[in-house]
Amino acid sequence: MAMSTATVVEAEAGGESVRGSRFAWLRSLRSPLTIVGIALTAFFVIFAIIGPFVAPYDPSQVSTATDATPSWGHWFGTTHVGQDVLSQMLYGTQVSILVGFGSGVIATVLSVIVGLVAGYARGIVDDVLSLLANVFLVLPILPLTVILAALLPKSGSLGIILVISITSWAWGARILRAQTLSLRRRDFVEAARATGERPGTIIFRDIFPNQIAVIAASFLSTVTVALLTQASLAFLGLTDVTEWSWGTILYWAQNNSASLNNEWWWFVPPGLAIALLGTGLSLVNFGIDEFINPRLRQAGIGTKASQRARIRSRRLAVSGGRGARVERPAAAAYTQASTDVILDIRNLNVDYLGDGTVTPAVSDVSFTLRRGEVLGIAGESGSGKSTLAYAITRLHKPPAEISSGQMLYTNADGSVTDILALTPEELRKFRWEELSIVFQSAMHALNPVLRIGAQIDDAIKAHRPEMSGPARAARVVELLGLVGIQSDRVDAYPHELSGGMRQRAMIAVGLALDPEVIVMDEPTTALDVVIQRQIVEKIMELKDKLGFSVIFITHDLSLLIELSDTIAVMYGGKIVEYAAADDFYRHAQHPYSRGLLSSFPTLNGPKRELTGITGAPPDLRKLPTGCSFNPRCPVAFDKCTEVVPPLFTIPLATGGTAEAACLLYEDGAPVPGISNGAHDSLDSREPVKEAS
Amino acid sequence: MRVVLRKAVFYLLTAWAAISINFLIPRITPGDPADNLIQQFHGKLTASAIKALRVLFGQPHESLWQQYLDYWHQVLTGNFGLSFAYFPSKVSTVLVGTLPWTFVLITVCTVIAFVVGTLLGTLAGWKRGTWLDSLVPVTTFFSSIPYFWFALLMVVIFANILRWFPIGSGYSVDETIGWNWGFIGSAAYYAVLPAVTIIVASIGGWLLGMRNMMVTTLSEDYVRLAEAKGLSRRRVMVTYAARNAILPSFAGFAMSIGFVVGGSIVTEIVFNYPGIGVVLFHAAQAADYPLMSAIFLVITFMVLVANLLADIAYAFLDPRTRES
Repeated sequence: MAMSTATVVEAEAGGESVRGSRFAWLRSLRSPLTIVGIALTAFFVIFAIIGPFVAPYDPSQVSTATDATPSWGHWFGTTHVGQDVLSQMLYGTQVSILVGFGSGVIATVLSVIVGLVAGYARGIVDDVLSLLANVFLVLPILPLTVILAALLPKSGSLGIILVISITSWAWGARILRAQTLSLRRRDFVEAARATGERPGTIIFRDIFPNQIAVIAASFLSTVTVALLTQASLAFLGLTDVTEWSWGTILYWAQNNSASLNNEWWWFVPPGLAIALLGTGLSLVNFGIDEFINPRLRQAGIGTKASQRARIRSRRLAVSGGRGARVERPAAAAYTQASTDVILDIRNLNVDYLGDGTVTPAVSDVSFTLRRGEVLGIAGESGSGKSTLAYAITRLHKPPAEISSGQMLYTNADGSVTDILALTPEELRKFRWEELSIVFQSAMHALNPVLRIGAQIDDAIKAHRPEMSGPARAARVVELLGLVGIQSDRVDAYPHELSGGMRQRAMIAVGLALDPEVIVMDEPTTALDVVIQRQIVEKIMELKDKLGFSVIFITHDLSLLIELSDTIAVMYGGKIVEYAAADDFYRHAQHPYSRGLLSSFPTLNGPKRELTGITGAPPDLRKLPTGCSFNPRCPVAFDKCTEVVPPLFTIPLATGGTAEAACLLYEDGAPVPGISNGAHDSLDSREPVKEAS
Repeated sequence: MRVVLRKAVFYLLTAWAAISINFLIPRITPGDPADNLIQQFHGKLTASAIKALRVLFGQPHESLWQQYLDYWHQVLTGNFGLSFAYFPSKVSTVLVGTLPWTFVLITVCTVIAFVVGTLLGTLAGWKRGTWLDSLVPVTTFFSSIPYFWFALLMVVIFANILRWFPIGSGYSVDETIGWNWGFIGSAAYYAVLPAVTIIVASIGGWLLGMRNMMVTTLSEDYVRLAEAKGLSRRRVMVTYAARNAILPSFAGFAMSIGFVVGGSIVTEIVFNYPGIGVVLFHAAQAADYPLMSAIFLVITFMVLVANLLADIAYAFLDPRTRES
């Protein structure tokens, strides 16, 4: 029984919520709505402090000006016995705020203690405390507080604070417990435990500070609840009715039929004050929520109007739209000499747009994919390879944007489609029919509440509305059979399948419409080696059988060399080497490629030291000047920090060519001693420059 | 199966806790509520009524355990004693006469607010970044309004000034209670203002919760894949995004329904609606503990049943909870 925030906390706590400074959340309070919230809250807090000093009258002072409408003498009018409503409001603010914030503090302290202890201790302590919290969560608060308040007759503010606190701590405790549970598994907490820190120290030094944002959110919602509860209790006459609070004013108004007499000035201000303060607190909470759950800040897929306009304005003359569907020729085996280009990517640039900043994620990437070819794209995380995968399928989301470039797709009938010029509807039809994508994590890419069969079926239905239900059902079974899933699993939900099965199902989804090109974004990364092997073999088998082309993206270079025809290596958003897989394996040209190759062992080659590459992948926001690999490059020289190397074409001994973006090849010829094999050179060379 | 068992244990435990809290409260608070009541109605109470009162609110000469057993016996036989605010009616009689009004009102309003709020929240989340974003501050304001204050505004505007709707009763005096159209129509007419108040005040919570979950869900890979597959926007929105985003609304039903019930009870008082809220109000004013504690138990029971239904709905909506 979690609610939205708790679920989100549970989901997000594993990742971004605790990243960065512990007080980073304060920065999220800059949005306009949050500022309005802070202003509203501050307004009332200020009046709570100065209220009694600026009140023009004694709030209980009876006068002859009874039931007066608002005037200069009485801004908010008077009551049936001539009391000044404005003065009552000013005095009342103090009690209402005191009860609201007082209850908030006590209830939050209770929830912090229960939540942290339960989440940290786990086991029986957790079971008991969680049960207690769940029971309190289900008990209806108002009737319970009514009974408690009635039994503590005419209780003052303190009694009311206690009553509200003990009935409203449960929600915060639940959220904090979930948060603690996930924090507990983090490295820094594990480390503290391993070094023998006392649990109390760990809880208060390592866990508590990371939950400040969640605690603040829970505190503010408790204050809102307390305000409303206090108002309700006072309105029912269950508090000390001689002590002015917003609720008490409403109590007197109601008992003297203010609403029946249309004395709106009497009962409108207190309720409006409660609503405004509640709004203020909730808006601040919204800001905190957006920090806790960063996804709330991202634009959803509904916000594409601007993108669409941009694309429309760029529609190119090349586009003949998508040609009529033609029967595909039997798959001809791909050869290195093939010129049958199916996908032509030219000078593609993808940027991430931030607050006035532009971060290039993919820079000037060009390549061609030929019919039946397997193009492997390799790169470390942050090299832009996944961004490229999404851009090719035009599935990138704001803040990512394709700033320039061209993506041309050659249809089976020879006509050319400009993918970037497709309208949303044309794109909808084009994608999956011609070009599909297999996502990295099948766990997250399959809808958890929909059966596997239905998730394949709906893709077919969307593109082939004329196809009958039974025909589609037969096709679904056929597709599952292709990837090696038995037909009785059609009705299985994703969670009922193993990791390997889910990935197979994903591939079946990708194959649903028999596309010409499939982009595979790390399709085997999350799987163990044996399953990985099965999946890769299945992909290659299907490729030979169905004749599609593959763009296979991974950081696993050994896998890539084995299955690709051609390899492109990405670094810092650029392609730094592009070569046939065999040539690449034997004579990698770029120092980065060599570094990658020397970071894994060969099965049958000579024994050698595994060196890898020192340093870390570059930050795309601050790429090094010149060649972005230069700080890590063992053979870098002065010019490398000055000139951005373009791709140089290098003739190979095999008769083919390779391309590498390295100034070593500026003269067009391989530099002696560099290109004589990947497995001998770099290790023995004297590093020219120590990597930072 | 284990899930069902765990839920069953939880609900039984909560019911037990509610009843035990009810037993403990008058016994741990200062003073002797039973004595106060007996004094207050001195001479009017029969011996058996006094005995029942003692069982419910404290028998100084019995062990706490014996008191507890006696108390359970009373509760299980539905004997909550006499009401003082409605003397000499029995508590059970008062409840039977008023509970149906509250039950129908809250059920209908909750269903409408949930359905409409969730639909609007779905749209607002889907169309994030458009003018629908302005729903956020507006609904935040509406969900911060105290129910009873909004009720006061409704009374002034629609009952006093415009005179569109009647208040002060549950149906017109010309009608007889029963399954006849005259009565049902009249009851519906009298329920409009309280219902609108409850719906307006409670819809914001559902709307905001659903919107935020939609926005969160829209960044899931499965939504992106659904879009990539070329599904209609409607199917992506409903079957892929909303279908997953709605789950926390059911999971968080417990807290939300507690607020709605609390707010509705106070709302009834403003409209003088013949439900349990007015009774609770009178009971609180007259320090009528037997009636108050019985109302607390009844409301807790209603909330538990509502939660049970939400749990069942959740199990139907989320295949992952159905097994294991």
